[in-house]
Amino acid sequence: MQTTLTSPLTAHSAAKPLSPSAHLSIDGVTKRFGSFTALDNIALQIQEGEFVCFLGPSGCGKTTLLRTIAGLAQQTAGSLIQRGKDISMLPPQARDFGIVFQSYALFPNLTVFDNVAYGLRNRRSDRAMIDARVAELLALVDLSGSEHKYPAALSGGQQQRVALARALATEPGLLLLDEPLSALDARVRGHLRHQIKALQARLGVTTIMVTHDQEEALTMADRIVVMNHGVIEQVGTPAEIYHQPASAFVASFIGTMNFLEVTAQANNHALLGTISCPCLPHVYPQGQAAQLAIRPESVALSASTTGLSGDVMGIEFLGAFQRVSLSLNNTEQWLLADVPSRDSATLGLRLGQTLGIHLPADAARLYPAGSNQS
Amino acid sequence: MRASIFSAPAATPSLEALIRLIVLLAAVALLVFGLLFPLFAMLVKSLQDRSGDFIGLANFVQYFQTPALVNSIANSLRVAFTTTVVVAGLAFLCAYGITRTCMPGKRLFRMLAILPILAPSLLPAISLVYLFGNQGVLRDVLAGHSIYGSIGIVMGMSFWIFPHALMLLTTALTNSDARLYEAAEALGTPKWRTFLTITLPGVRYGLISCLFVVFTLAITDFGVPKIIGGQFSVLATDVYRQVVGQQNFQMGAVVSVILLMPAVLSFIVDRWIQKRQVAQLSARAVPWQPTPSPLRDWTFALLCYSVAGIILLVIGTAVYASLIQFWPYNLSFTLQHYTFQGLAGGGWGAWFNSLKLAFSVALVGTLVIFFNAWLIEKSEGYRPLRQGLHFMAMLPMAVPGMVLGLAYIFFFNQAGNPLNWLYGTMAILVLNTLVHFYTVCHLTSVTALKQLDPEFEAVGASLKVPFWTTFSRVTLPVSLPAVLDISVYLFVNAMTTVSAVVFLYNSDTRLASVAVLHLDEAGYFASAAAMAVLIFLTSLVVKLLHTALTHVLLNNAQRWRQAG
Repeated sequence: MQTTLTSPLTAHSAAKPLSPSAHLSIDGVTKRFGSFTALDNIALQIQEGEFVCFLGPSGCGKTTLLRTIAGLAQQTAGSLIQRGKDISMLPPQARDFGIVFQSYALFPNLTVFDNVAYGLRNRRSDRAMIDARVAELLALVDLSGSEHKYPAALSGGQQQRVALARALATEPGLLLLDEPLSALDARVRGHLRHQIKALQARLGVTTIMVTHDQEEALTMADRIVVMNHGVIEQVGTPAEIYHQPASAFVASFIGTMNFLEVTAQANNHALLGTISCPCLPHVYPQGQAAQLAIRPESVALSASTTGLSGDVMGIEFLGAFQRVSLSLNNTEQWLLADVPSRDSATLGLRLGQTLGIHLPADAARLYPAGSNQS
Repeated sequence: MRASIFSAPAATPSLEALIRLIVLLAAVALLVFGLLFPLFAMLVKSLQDRSGDFIGLANFVQYFQTPALVNSIANSLRVAFTTTVVVAGLAFLCAYGITRTCMPGKRLFRMLAILPILAPSLLPAISLVYLFGNQGVLRDVLAGHSIYGSIGIVMGMSFWIFPHALMLLTTALTNSDARLYEAAEALGTPKWRTFLTITLPGVRYGLISCLFVVFTLAITDFGVPKIIGGQFSVLATDVYRQVVGQQNFQMGAVVSVILLMPAVLSFIVDRWIQKRQVAQLSARAVPWQPTPSPLRDWTFALLCYSVAGIILLVIGTAVYASLIQFWPYNLSFTLQHYTFQGLAGGGWGAWFNSLKLAFSVALVGTLVIFFNAWLIEKSEGYRPLRQGLHFMAMLPMAVPGMVLGLAYIFFFNQAGNPLNWLYGTMAILVLNTLVHFYTVCHLTSVTALKQLDPEFEAVGASLKVPFWTTFSRVTLPVSLPAVLDISVYLFVNAMTTVSAVVFLYNSDTRLASVAVLHLDEAGYFASAAAMAVLIFLTSLVVKLLHTALTHVLLNNAQRWRQAG
């Protein structure tokens, strides 16, 4: 397996699968609990060395999918192939993975050393080799010197790192992370996010992380799998997911999105109230109701009020920019626009003001009317 | 990744799965052979005549046409109801004193209140005879009524059932939410109304559960009515009389089936209540702390210490009676009653047998029951088997000791049963006692296991560690306090029980508790008291050792339980 033994990756948007060979192929995996379908015909390929995030609201099936990959839940139908080996029916013991749980599940009666060495002991490696390996792993997660502490004496972030070292100890081909950061406070979370990503890049271990936190997914993943109601809504790089959401659900779940009710027109236009706006190429027949999605940061405001315009009804100060709520003039709809702080002075932004609105065509995307939003 | 040096897995998963299945099947077999088959054999027996031919319900018809037998149903119900009212009332007041007042000496009271559990139920009965019997010092208190009969039975049962009720109600009353009381106070609610609208509803499930536990214990108890019942017969003594006295096994089976009914009924009601009792208290509840109120505190202290005084009086009477020459004519001190020389019952040999039984049950039972609970709670697959095992683990609570003991005779003493060799051995006593007290230990195990992180087993599996390693290195050590509780519970019960084993011992396996019975029957009252005291002291010593051991272990474990 090729490893990038370099310092942490800084940019990930351009990340490509490190190898064309698939580490894990999931095909037609379905999981039913009685009449409830938790996973519906999931198909997914995960490349060697890749960092993949399963992202979605709670109950979307992401954890079930992770547990199915680990063998902790048995799929109702479908197959899993890991490195060319069919693991569909194998128990967890026979699969090649390490796992970190949200609760860490550190053994409370064992020291940090014994926790990390837990999987090594069993393999009857000699003592010196175990000592060396544990030391190496603890150095990897910045916990050298904590060998003889008990988990209860560690902070949440430290416990999480011990869990990570324990999962990596046996050199699994696949690392599974089940919401590993959600039990931590915001500051530790940001730090650990960076550390885990750097570690993964260094070791080159194929990693799947489950999260409901979009920021976590966007900053850490090579590819994101967005799930909802047991199906995959979209698979793509963070940039693709953010800029080209494949469905209204993805568009609304990631980041902030305006949805405006429009009527589709020919020549890639949409009718908003009485004004025709250009938008990205769409497939809707003329006259069909649709919704136009555009991110607040893409909306451009100006002093000239010809064409689309709106009244400023609220201004929210968010530091680097201000979020302006506008009531559109020719249609009873609302629109959010993010104005960088330095532009707001130029505009002379104030409540009650009427501003011209420009919706750039390359940022305006049409989705079916009334389609699923989170 | 570089060539791994850690690649030889120690256990192949298929072997592990196979072992898991085998132990699961073994656990199911234990309860099928130790509980279901014997009970079935008993049901069959109740439908047969003496020569073993099927006669339908004829035995039952005969039972209900015999007034002497049918009367016992009413007697049992009356005694059980009275005991329930007395015990639940007293225990509620004492539990209230412990949890909701600032009365002094709470810890001492709780220690004293537990003492009756350490004695066989025969002990209070013997003491009551000394206190209120024909030669008793307090005879006149009964105003001409005889202690032999329902009065004595209710008093004796109340004594040894009291700790059970107190523990249940203390637990129920401990769970309180101070915020509710503060809200009531802020609204100017009078105290009695606060009690009726907040305190009582808060403990209603615990209270109902307590009522049923007390009722079941009272209606199935054998020791007290055997010693002090006199001519007043109840269902449990009827079983004994039919089987041991008249060798009428069929009628014994019929009475057993009838005795099984109230126990099964209260078992079903209790299960139903437990299901409805879902977390009444949110995690954010703030425990209520009592504030001093001298009048209330001293009133409850007086009440609790009166109860403690009675407990000490009853135990003290038995101890005193065992140490004097001949009540009430020669009160000089002697140890001769502890020699048991030439008397019925087996003497010190019986005590050694009891010790052997109690240690075996504590050791084997703790491991088996805890491991079975682990199989049910923490393993995957074979769901129907695991659910069936859980159901069977809950069942022994509904089976009175007399019924279980008799059922064992019918099943294991059958001609042609390949397990027949067990009959009359120490092994059958161990099996019987283990099954008899299975449920409480099972529930304790399940509660302890539910507190563990549900992912321990998954982590172990992902690290390719066989399940028995994770069980022995993590699950068992972390659950040690519960495991010790189970073992001491089994020890004490094996030491004190008489109802089931009275049918199963033979001349080599006489037990101390049965010896008390036989000494009493033979009229050696002082020696019976001595043997009962001996059982009590043995349990007490083991209980104290257990407390000390738990203390030491928790202190050591403090290293990892607390930060540090």
